[in-house]
Amino acid sequence: MIGIEHYLTVAATLFVIGIFGLFLNRKNVIVLLMSIELMLLSVNINFVAFSSFLGDLVGQVFTLFVLTVAAAEAAIGLAILVCFFRNRGTIAVEDVNVMKG
Amino acid sequence: MLQADLTIILPEIILSIYAMLALVAAVYTGKDKAAPMLVWITSALFVVLAVWIGMNGEGSTEAFGGMFIEDAFSRFGKVTILLSAAAVLVMSQDYMHRRGLLRFEYPLLVALAVVGMMVMVSSGDLMTLYMGLELQSLSLYVIASLRRESAKSTEAGLKYFVLGALSSGLLLYGASLVYGFSGTTLFAGIIEAAQGDYLPLGMLFGLVFMASGFAFKVSAVPFHMWTPDVYEGAPTPITAFFATAPKVAAMGLFARVMHDAFGGMVGDWQQIVALLAVLSMFLGAIAAIGQRDIKRLMAYSSIAHMGYALMGLAAGTAFGVQAMLVYMAIYVTMNIGTFAFILSMEKDGQPVTSIDSLNLLARAEPGKALAMLVLLFSLAGVPPLVGFFGKFYVLRAAYDAGLVWLAVAGVVASVIGAFYYLRIVYFMYFGEESEGLDGGKSAMLSGFLMASAAIMLIGIVNLFGIETPAAMAAAQLVN
Amino acid sequence: METVILFAPLVGAIIAGFGHRIIGDKAAQVVTTAMLFLAMALSWIVFLGHDGQMQQIEILRFIQSGDLNTSWGIRLDRLTTIMLVVITSVSALVHFYSIGYMAHDENFSEEESYRPRFFAYLSFFTFAMLTLVTSDNLVQMFFGWEGVGVASYLLIGFYFRKDSANAASIKAFVVNRVGDFGFALGIFGLFMMTGSIQFNDIFAAAPELAETTLTFLWRDWNAANLLAFLLFVGAMGKSAQLFLHTWLPDAMEGPTPVSALIHAATMVTAGVFLVARMSPLMEFAPDTMAFVTFLGATTAFVAASIGLVQNDIKRVIAYSTMSQLGYMFVAAGVGVYSVAMFHLFTHAFFKAMLFLGAGSVIHGMHHEQDMRNYGGLRKKLPMTFWAMMIGTLAITGVGIPLWTISGMPIGFAGFVSKDAIIESAYVGTMGGYGFWMLVIAALFTSFYSWRLMFLTFYGEARGDKHTHDHAHESPMIMLVPLGVLAIGSITAGMIWYGSFFGKQNEVIKYFGGHYTAPAEELAKEVAANNPKASKLKYVMEDAPGEAAIYIKPENTVLHEAHYVPTWVKLSPFVAMVIGFLTALWFYIWNPSIPGRLAANQRPLYLFLLNKWYFDEIYDFLFVKPASMIGRFLWKRGDGSTIDGMLNGLAMGIIPFFTRLAGKAQSGYLFTYAFAMVIGIVALITWMTLAGGAR
Repeated sequence: MIGIEHYLTVAATLFVIGIFGLFLNRKNVIVLLMSIELMLLSVNINFVAFSSFLGDLVGQVFTLFVLTVAAAEAAIGLAILVCFFRNRGTIAVEDVNVMKG
Repeated sequence: MLQADLTIILPEIILSIYAMLALVAAVYTGKDKAAPMLVWITSALFVVLAVWIGMNGEGSTEAFGGMFIEDAFSRFGKVTILLSAAAVLVMSQDYMHRRGLLRFEYPLLVALAVVGMMVMVSSGDLMTLYMGLELQSLSLYVIASLRRESAKSTEAGLKYFVLGALSSGLLLYGASLVYGFSGTTLFAGIIEAAQGDYLPLGMLFGLVFMASGFAFKVSAVPFHMWTPDVYEGAPTPITAFFATAPKVAAMGLFARVMHDAFGGMVGDWQQIVALLAVLSMFLGAIAAIGQRDIKRLMAYSSIAHMGYALMGLAAGTAFGVQAMLVYMAIYVTMNIGTFAFILSMEKDGQPVTSIDSLNLLARAEPGKALAMLVLLFSLAGVPPLVGFFGKFYVLRAAYDAGLVWLAVAGVVASVIGAFYYLRIVYFMYFGEESEGLDGGKSAMLSGFLMASAAIMLIGIVNLFGIETPAAMAAAQLVN
Repeated sequence: METVILFAPLVGAIIAGFGHRIIGDKAAQVVTTAMLFLAMALSWIVFLGHDGQMQQIEILRFIQSGDLNTSWGIRLDRLTTIMLVVITSVSALVHFYSIGYMAHDENFSEEESYRPRFFAYLSFFTFAMLTLVTSDNLVQMFFGWEGVGVASYLLIGFYFRKDSANAASIKAFVVNRVGDFGFALGIFGLFMMTGSIQFNDIFAAAPELAETTLTFLWRDWNAANLLAFLLFVGAMGKSAQLFLHTWLPDAMEGPTPVSALIHAATMVTAGVFLVARMSPLMEFAPDTMAFVTFLGATTAFVAASIGLVQNDIKRVIAYSTMSQLGYMFVAAGVGVYSVAMFHLFTHAFFKAMLFLGAGSVIHGMHHEQDMRNYGGLRKKLPMTFWAMMIGTLAITGVGIPLWTISGMPIGFAGFVSKDAIIESAYVGTMGGYGFWMLVIAALFTSFYSWRLMFLTFYGEARGDKHTHDHAHESPMIMLVPLGVLAIGSITAGMIWYGSFFGKQNEVIKYFGGHYTAPAEELAKEVAANNPKASKLKYVMEDAPGEAAIYIKPENTVLHEAHYVPTWVKLSPFVAMVIGFLTALWFYIWNPSIPGRLAANQRPLYLFLLNKWYFDEIYDFLFVKPASMIGRFLWKRGDGSTIDGMLNGLAMGIIPFFTRLAGKAQSGYLFTYAFAMVIGIVALITWMTLAGGAR
């Protein structure tokens, strides 16, 4: 029998993978965008699982909002990335360090 | 029913409809030629809405079944946000125009960000919270990289975006846990579920994740790392905007969630907030000492100031919230004046942000140097300027709440922090001969600078009566 | 009108102090002086027209906090009016005199605009002094009290390029702080006990205070005695009484007009004024009064003995002032406040004149102050000589004893008031210590005053011949004030004798009180003690605080002082004559005696010359240890411990952390993200542990 805890575990695992993707990856900014997407989706799994477990629709409504915002976020992220690439000619994470100190 | 709800959120509706219509209209007509006019219209609208909200609102009402709360606290936050955003917009017009940055998107994105902030301080539900926060953040990501041809500006935007998305992720994960363990997304429901001494671990996790998300928005240590880079990279007017309105909104949201949703677990979040406060105060003070760039320095300065504001929140009392609100209002006023000065720093028509360029400014421009001296003293919290009273307020709140160690740490940190403010004063008055600044004779900026400095002096009489609305706001927030 | 008197000097001070660049030096001097003459004219009108009834005039509300309610008001009664005329008259004349005296000053170059500063200080001082004497509450009085302290500090250190002047000003300030500490404690205590700082309330509560005990310094004291004593400590500092007197001689570093105004006529008498003002409290503090008498008598004697051998003309007069202040305190101490005020009043005239005369001599002798370098100046400075002569006759107390014209004695001002004090002291101390000290002091006074005259104006010219050749009489502007003061010195005693030291009923009426017949037992008791003084007809009827001064019915010193034995009445005169003859013998007939005497009695001579070694003792007891503690704290405490620690923190640890923070801010996204993750992990761990523990 698959219970709520299984869903939560999957979601937590995905979330942690997403976070790790953010700070272990040093090559490509696109991977960062993917990691962010992963985190948001893992949250969605959480919401839907809770929603179904609680028998309450609000969680699923929340999921829809998150999906929408995630799409907008991805669009804006890509746009900024394009601008960045035009200036620097690279999208390596290691090169995003003009400012420091 | 729906009509009543819509009436309550009318200011937000007006502002967002205005932003969307203006966006469409500008695209189809004059594009960037319309920008100066849009700046004026937007800031005028901000001021009108601020007056409207400030004058009209009374008591506490809810819309959409409690998802949107209109009370004295949200009104205080909204008025502060609107007025500071208007001030920053007006200040930035000339600067942006001369550097070809004045695109029509700029005032409209600011307007959208402000809508997001207004929703944030009014939110009564995790969903409204999230939507407001994201509307604000997405607008801010874009305006941080407004200077498309600049490597620094786009890098600032990228860093802000990635880290902001991470923080949104943390916040959302926390929200999902809170939802799961309380069975509702309404704050009013959460506070009922989150009572008592033995709370489920999931609720505590949710609280910590959400607090981290807010800590990122208020740039509290250790979630502050984006702040200096974004402040440095973004065009200066946008830095000024970052330093003012979003901070108020995020702090307001922080207080709102902590008291409205987690009011039953004060003991739990108090430790988190106090820790964030003490780390922010010390890191802000210590790291700023090494800075030679005034924008980076202001970033650390605002980190430290957020630490003090959090100290008020950490008290966990109505007086603490009142102290926090007063502190934020003072902080915003000081920052507007300081950034008016930074915006006026230029040489050969190019903006300068190096502290060394301030050497012996007092000889060239005694009036500006004096006003800046007052502001810096006030930022450092030197009595009897208004900045001192802000610090005194939060210290007293922490002391009254029994957080003596926190108050003591605050005093120590402010002593350390005074060093870098006073060093700027030293440069201005006793520095070495060097090629100073020229230009920067904008009457508008000087006016803001002088007005802000004057407020720091005159405000010591009664803080312009800000205490009463802050006390009312705090009383309605904390039950 | 009273408001104008009070604020005219302040207006002058502000105009001269801040506006002299606009209106010029000359105008600044004229404006301040004119303001003072205006104040003086009004003061005399108020004084002569005053009927003795107390009036209160509110100027503005000042501090209001809890029980504390201070309004800035004027309490206009007899004491105030006396002080008003003394202050404004002497101040106006000193302003006038200073126009001449300060015209050239070798301490400043010609381009420097030092004169407006001087006049602004003088006027500011006058304002502060007027605030002090007109106040109707203790806080305002304290305000004026500190104001005169500041003005005195500024004026003593007026020649700020001279180290000695700076040291003297600091000394005056520090010593006065000791007294002020007591005064402030007294005010706190009175506020604590009565819940008010208004004189009216305090005086009304005075009889009650006498019944109350107060714990202070781990001991129970009688409240009235303790508080009166604390207030008197303040008076000791300001009026240079023994133990807190060391600043006064050094204060002579200031310009001479300052000495005349502040250190002779007005500020130093503030202590006497305070005791007289607080008479309703003092009357209920017999132990403190005994102490006041004792200390005043001792001061009079000690100061006079030091004055015998001093060589600096201004210091002689300074010690003379100190000694005369001692007289006043004795009078206040035995309970005849009117007589203390009488001597204050007359002393202001002749002592200001002596100082201004000395200033004239110094001016004419090119700032030479050592009397050993004077001599034979009578011809060179004839007007000054006559002025000084009148002053000397007044201070030594020349007059015709035992002979009155319709109740009015014949004699110079000092004769009348000093005799009044000595007679009162005889009664008050029952012919004891206080009385004898004063008589001996009178002898000394006569000696050193005549010594000053003889050394300066008679005999051979000594010292630098060039200076003597160029000695010149002072300009008219400096001589006129001398003439005016001379009139006061001659007549003040005779005219106001009845008002201050007349019949009991006369005096009570003059100070705005009402008299009534004494209780029978009291009259009997007085008659039994002193058969000559059996005719006690009147005692004061008013409650404490209703009249300007308060005299308890049991206090019959004033009455009995008129019926002392004849030898007592003669004693000051005899002492004066002996002093005069000795001075004549020592300095005119046989000028070799002083040198031989000094050689024979060397220890005694040195003892007196070194002012009883007060400065040396204080240096050893307070200054050295204080500077040692200071040096220890500075070198060890501050230098090693605090500076070491703080510098370590500021120079070592904080920059280390600053560099660390800079390194942490690496600019890499993954570092930032990692920091956030570490942060949240730390928070969660902490919450789990802390939350789990609950």
